[in-house]
Amino acid sequence: MMRMHDYEIPDDLYYSKEHEWARLEGEYAVVGITDYAQKALHEIVFVETPLVGSELKQMEVMGVVESVKAVSDIFVPISGEVVEVNQALAESPELVNKDPYGAGWIAKILPANLNRDLENLMNAQQYADHLRKLEEK
Amino acid sequence: MGQPTRKTHLHGFHSQRGRMVSFAGFEMPMWYKGIIPEHMAVRNAVGIFDVTHMGRVLINGPEAEAFLDYVTTNNVAALAPLSAHYSTICNELGGIKDDFIVSRLESEKLLLVPNAINRAKDYEWLVKQSRAFDVKIEDVSDNIAMFAVQGPKAEQTLQQICDEDLTKIQRFKGGWAKLAEVDVYVSRTGYTGEDGFELFTWNTPLSNPDNAIKVWNAVLEAGQRVGIEPCGLGARDTLRLEAGMCLYGNDIDENITPLEAELSFVVKFKKEDFIGKEALLKQKTEGLKRKRVGLRMLERGIPRPHHEVWRKGEKIGYVTSGTFSPILKRGIAMAYLSTEYAMENTTVDVRIRDKFVKGEVVTFPFYDTRQYGFRRET
Repeated sequence: MMRMHDYEIPDDLYYSKEHEWARLEGEYAVVGITDYAQKALHEIVFVETPLVGSELKQMEVMGVVESVKAVSDIFVPISGEVVEVNQALAESPELVNKDPYGAGWIAKILPANLNRDLENLMNAQQYADHLRKLEEK
Repeated sequence: MGQPTRKTHLHGFHSQRGRMVSFAGFEMPMWYKGIIPEHMAVRNAVGIFDVTHMGRVLINGPEAEAFLDYVTTNNVAALAPLSAHYSTICNELGGIKDDFIVSRLESEKLLLVPNAINRAKDYEWLVKQSRAFDVKIEDVSDNIAMFAVQGPKAEQTLQQICDEDLTKIQRFKGGWAKLAEVDVYVSRTGYTGEDGFELFTWNTPLSNPDNAIKVWNAVLEAGQRVGIEPCGLGARDTLRLEAGMCLYGNDIDENITPLEAELSFVVKFKKEDFIGKEALLKQKTEGLKRKRVGLRMLERGIPRPHHEVWRKGEKIGYVTSGTFSPILKRGIAMAYLSTEYAMENTTVDVRIRDKFVKGEVVTFPFYDTRQYGFRRET
């Protein structure tokens, strides 16, 4: 596991510039928001997940995450069909704060264009560099 | 661009402990531990807020009362020394220029606390309107630090470091006291719905912040046993919204009258004259087209400012403030609705992004007043 300041960055994930992650699990990709994103939002009180069955293109809006003060779009890092969403977030949106890479996952995607999409994403080291640049601003 | 960001006496504490934001030209804490724990500390125990970013204007002179009775909408003649009331200033059309607490410190000396965003505007307006009156208007904002200590344990907390008996200061009354050996004007007022006090540390310029820091630290120490939290602007906003109190710039502005905002309790038409009286009287006679209401969401979703409110396929209003209520654990909002729908229990659909989410019109405050707020039974 990599770290950048307080932020955890698991080695085996792919990352978007907008702070989403994707994990490959068999033929599926599980997606969520990063530790940096959940810390920036703080106290998440509402998550709007995408509709199961919807077809999304890479970096299309797939949902919304809200803290007490802020509303933030979630972009889908991998194109494809939404095959499952994390139902637990309806009752317990704070799971995204507690475990952003685990119990706080947002959706499961059946990828439509995996290899091409992965080229547009970062690995852990690249994402750590991306965060470092943001923190320097 | 613009003016440099201003800081308060407690900037060191805030920037070390809090998540800082820029608000009305000031660098202020949004939260320290988090909006929800800070909010709950105030509802269940006590919290302290630095509200020095607000304005403090003294109105001095033989015609201070007459002047304020002309420029504000509430009845200043009825305000006894060492007491306070909520009031508004309106323009000639009845639109709200600002809302604030007025305190009468002495018979001819009154204190106004304008909203941070209206400090300069109010001062200019007051000076302009005061020409025919024998009064002196003085902006003393920069010489006074101001803290709010709010919650059911506020009195108990402050009593430990205060030389006066605070039980003798009733709600909306005030008095002078030594707090941690510092001279403070203590006003039993606030912006949370809870019992609590606002503290004004006199003669405390930013260049010499020692007394402000002393009071702040003493309050935090005195409240430690009951679980005091320093609270930021985030909790201040969720607390006032749960209590049903307006935020200037969101829920009220120069295009909204106190009658529409359901603040007619601070508009005294029996007064001989005040700025905006004619327009407000006309509106009162003709009837209101819209009214401020509370909306409690019945389905999941958080209403935010500018969201539309619909009913049966017809747009009937718009949201001006909205948040997640830590007490109700659901979305709540203030909205302006066409008068015919501004009735308790009316169900509405709030358009949150591309979805319609069910809510209902409720009275303020949003919480159960037997359990929370200054009237609580426990």
